Amino acid sequence: MPARTWFSERWGVKFKRSNLESKSYLVVDDFGDMRSLIKNMLLSCGAGDIVAAMNGAQAIKAMERKRFDVVLCDYNLGSGKDGQQVLEEARHRQLIGLGTVFVMITAENTREMVMGAVEYEPDSYLTKPFNKELLRSRLEKLLAKKQDLLPIEKAVENRDFTLALELLNQKIAESPPNIGELNKLKGEICLQAGEVEEALVVYDKVLAVREMPWARLGLGKALFGAKRYAEARVVFQDLVNANDRYTAAYDWLAKTCKCLNQHQDAQDILQKAAKLSPRVITRQQALGELALSNNDVNTAEAAFSNAVKFGKHSVYKHPSVYANLAKVVAENKTGGEGLKVLKDMQREFADDSEAEFYNAAAESVIQRSMGDSEKSEQALERALEEYQKLGKDVSSEYSIELAKTYTKLGDPDKATELFHQAVRNNHSDEELLSELGATMQSLGLQEDPSSLISEIRKEIIRLNNKGVELAREGKLKESISLFEEAAEGMSGNKVVNLNAARVLLMDIEQNNNYAGKINRVRVYLDRVKALDPDNQTLRKLNAKFQEIVGT
Amino acid sequence: MEFSDILASIIHDMKNSLGMVINTLEEITAESDDEGPQQKKIPILQHEAKRLNNKLIELLTLYKIDNNRIVATIDEVMVDEFLEEIVIDNQVNAQAKGVTLSYTCDEYLSGYFDEGLMRGVINNLIGNGLRYTRSQLLIAAQMVDDYLVFQVEDDGAGFPDTMLEAQAAFELNESYVEGHTQLGIYFCGMVARLHKNGDRQGFTKLSNNNTLSGGCFAVWLP
Repeated sequence: MPARTWFSERWGVKFKRSNLESKSYLVVDDFGDMRSLIKNMLLSCGAGDIVAAMNGAQAIKAMERKRFDVVLCDYNLGSGKDGQQVLEEARHRQLIGLGTVFVMITAENTREMVMGAVEYEPDSYLTKPFNKELLRSRLEKLLAKKQDLLPIEKAVENRDFTLALELLNQKIAESPPNIGELNKLKGEICLQAGEVEEALVVYDKVLAVREMPWARLGLGKALFGAKRYAEARVVFQDLVNANDRYTAAYDWLAKTCKCLNQHQDAQDILQKAAKLSPRVITRQQALGELALSNNDVNTAEAAFSNAVKFGKHSVYKHPSVYANLAKVVAENKTGGEGLKVLKDMQREFADDSEAEFYNAAAESVIQRSMGDSEKSEQALERALEEYQKLGKDVSSEYSIELAKTYTKLGDPDKATELFHQAVRNNHSDEELLSELGATMQSLGLQEDPSSLISEIRKEIIRLNNKGVELAREGKLKESISLFEEAAEGMSGNKVVNLNAARVLLMDIEQNNNYAGKINRVRVYLDRVKALDPDNQTLRKLNAKFQEIVGT
Repeated sequence: MEFSDILASIIHDMKNSLGMVINTLEEITAESDDEGPQQKKIPILQHEAKRLNNKLIELLTLYKIDNNRIVATIDEVMVDEFLEEIVIDNQVNAQAKGVTLSYTCDEYLSGYFDEGLMRGVINNLIGNGLRYTRSQLLIAAQMVDDYLVFQVEDDGAGFPDTMLEAQAAFELNESYVEGHTQLGIYFCGMVARLHKNGDRQGFTKLSNNNTLSGGCFAVWLP
């Protein structure tokens, strides 16, 4: 085989390469000739363990059965899931391991896809046509790179960001040729860990050398994380001005506008992005919800119906979207048509308590609007039943939905109480608070939501400070009772739960006072874990907890 | 849908078919040991199919530039890996024509450019070079005066004087250029100019008798 002679002398010397023979492969393409073509290429590279799938559903099934080292997936898979949706589901459900290389095969220049990717990017894009030698070289390098970064990715998966950054910093210190890539990864890990100051440093450094969109976007995200919204807005706006097809920048610009209480701007921006790439369903959902709070029911209907249409095969398919669509359709068209959407929803989500909750809540609203108060009340009963089952303690999502339902059913007092509860549980999440404010205002529950929200926030911050102060003065008992009482009233508040766990652990450590405390600590930590698994304070407290339980 | 959008989607479709043609031809050559007269014609098919593919990419890119649908997305690229892949991709064609295709660059050279666009440019230059060279094609990359310079050189007859003289005109995009070679130059110039850094902009340069005796096409990126 003469085709390799020209570089065979450098084979294995220049780039780190991994062997292809012992690896397992999944080839996904709807076109039979293409499948066998790629399979033949892999065979002639010495691979033996190759599975082929002709559509996204088959690909997911194959990944459920087996962990592949390499997935080669065409972007265009006919009807059903597309390649991006296969990737999203595989990563989201952890059907592929950290060492798995996912290559997206596309028909043309892929720049726009990269710029539009929301959460998950493939490890590499390969443009058709490609030959065997190119495939071989690309895979060898990708597998070697994965191998090289595996310890870091493992640490990230265990949410041990401190370790991940430590390992990464060691690599960066050696100034390897791929330092650019490592810096990109470092920025992402810092952001995920909530180390925004360090992220700012990383991106500033990269940008000092050369202007690059990914680094500029990262800088904006870090500013957003640091709650420097006005500066973040300028960064995202500049990115969009420089490239009006950079949809990921639109998403962040809209998020930032929301935090600045510029809800109409946020909607306009998402509308533009949704027009450029309508298939991103998380964006359609966000657009629909924004439009609702801006009382723009036509835009809301279009967005929710797109989210339903494009989301049929997506792992992000969510019952709230169907429920929202049903309610908007009932408002824009007829109640009967809204109920029809709910019927579809039941088919799409069988035996799903979350879906039943949303379904029943929406039905109660629609029945009421159609004048059938008996059916409306029955539906509300069902919704409340599911609500209890879902464990209302933890997620605010359901209480907010219930609050909206009460408003539509003409019970503003219950609605207001639930909204206030949601504010108390999320006093440090500006984006959600701003959303809640806009929703309360658009539902006519609150004329000046921002001052109400800032009152509640101040009260909680004061309370937290007081508890911390007490603990510092050694008045642990008082501190514990303050935080535990607070955690009772705000079971969904991360900061309060973490503080309750922290002072309990302090008491156990300092006074060897275990009585009944272990289980309470566990409850608080579990609550936070369900709300924010990436939380680094949680990680530290958990480590301490394990230490104590272990001894 | 505008007419130009329909045109673009038809080109995409054509490109898909052509991709299958190219891959199938490759399979045929790999599978057969036969050196009969019919087999010898396959490389010609391969070369022309590949050229057609490059031209379609060129057309699509020009269409996007014309519609302001494209900006160069700058990222840091390992030049060695980048050129290695391009050479692998074109190696079969070069060998079939009896041309030695190789590249040279510093192992640790990294550059800032739009990988997809520059891939199109260099594939194009290789496609053209394979027509005009005698026995060699050399791709080189290096930093010169704070520019990243890609060169594609051949040992053919070199560019005619008229082209060397006219290059300022394509560079400024002043005259409409006819003929395949010139259109390729026009495309490369367009892509080079999409690359900007501060107030500097990319450009192209034609010359003869660089390291090899023939023509040398250089793309300078800031």
